[in-house]
Amino acid sequence: MDELELLKKDWKSNEDTKYPKLSYKEIYKMILKKSSSIVKWIFIISILEFLLWTGISFSFKNTDYNKRFESYHAENIMIPLLILGYIILAYFFYRFYINYRTISATDSAKILMENILKTRRTVKQYVGFNLIYMAVSAFVALGVQFDRDKEMISLMDKASANGEIFKFYAMTIILTLVFLGVLIAIILGFYYLIYGILLKRLNSNYKELKKLEV
Amino acid sequence: MNKELEHSFVEELEKNQNIVHKVCRIYTNNQDAHNDLFQEITIQLWKAYPKFRGDSKFSTWMYRVGLNTAITLYRKRKRSIRTEDFDAFEFKIKSEPYDDTEEEQLKLLYKAVHQLNDIEKALVFLYLEDKNYKEISETIGISEVNARVKMNRIKTKLRTILNP
Repeated sequence: MDELELLKKDWKSNEDTKYPKLSYKEIYKMILKKSSSIVKWIFIISILEFLLWTGISFSFKNTDYNKRFESYHAENIMIPLLILGYIILAYFFYRFYINYRTISATDSAKILMENILKTRRTVKQYVGFNLIYMAVSAFVALGVQFDRDKEMISLMDKASANGEIFKFYAMTIILTLVFLGVLIAIILGFYYLIYGILLKRLNSNYKELKKLEV
Repeated sequence: MNKELEHSFVEELEKNQNIVHKVCRIYTNNQDAHNDLFQEITIQLWKAYPKFRGDSKFSTWMYRVGLNTAITLYRKRKRSIRTEDFDAFEFKIKSEPYDDTEEEQLKLLYKAVHQLNDIEKALVFLYLEDKNYKEISETIGISEVNARVKMNRIKTKLRTILNP
């Protein structure tokens, strides 16, 4: 006999006695408990990400560096950059919310996985955007400093008197790049770890489903 | 209103709870994991219940939510013990006495099914539940032809696991 037929015969026998019978009360207690589903975790982590990035931009508000920066009167550059940041945050949050709402356990397995991955992708894009935004801001700020920071200008004057102005530019830019690179690598490594663990099973199951289609 | 919803849901689930137990049986291999998955499926069913409109049977709807939870949504609360206590669990759940060779073969079969991946388990489960390929393909989200092809491959795979 076919293996699965043998299994089916056993599977269907004595259904009423071989499984535990939970009472009405026991089931009722279960619906009051909290879910620990992957969607819930993705939701929590995503909200934390939004908060973290907004928090980072706010925490810069009152630092000495920021105060010094205000003295450059570079508002016409920094304010549009700031507004752009908030508009994009709102846009991503809106998309995240819409995607999150489409996740439904009553869809087919494949659609459900796709919707979860889509929600995740939105947040990933948001993080990507933030990293780019961070890098662009750093360079804009550096440009403003070259142009308006008194200390910087006196250093540059000194360097050009020694004929080392090119070396000075190169060093400053390379140092900024290295600093940004290290920071981005740490952040990406952190994400890779969190989502690698969280989505490992989902990704491999989704891959398996995609494989069935070719 | 909410109380009414709660009541009708719990009553339906109590009646149809075997479906959830069976999903747990395919996807878990010890009592703790079984209970944990059962708990999560119940929550997911309850969360989806307001959207259940009765255009399909409650049980059909349960298959979807149950499998989706097992395959995608469920995240273990604690690390469950792996195959060690698997045999004991299978024995506990089984009741009908078989002759020795058939019993032995069944034990190996269940063990082999547990070695399949999540998607393959879903197909086997729906097959064991006598679902036709149309329903299987709709539940999983692949075409009917692909469901058939995959099912045949699973049969071969099981045979290879059993007779290496």
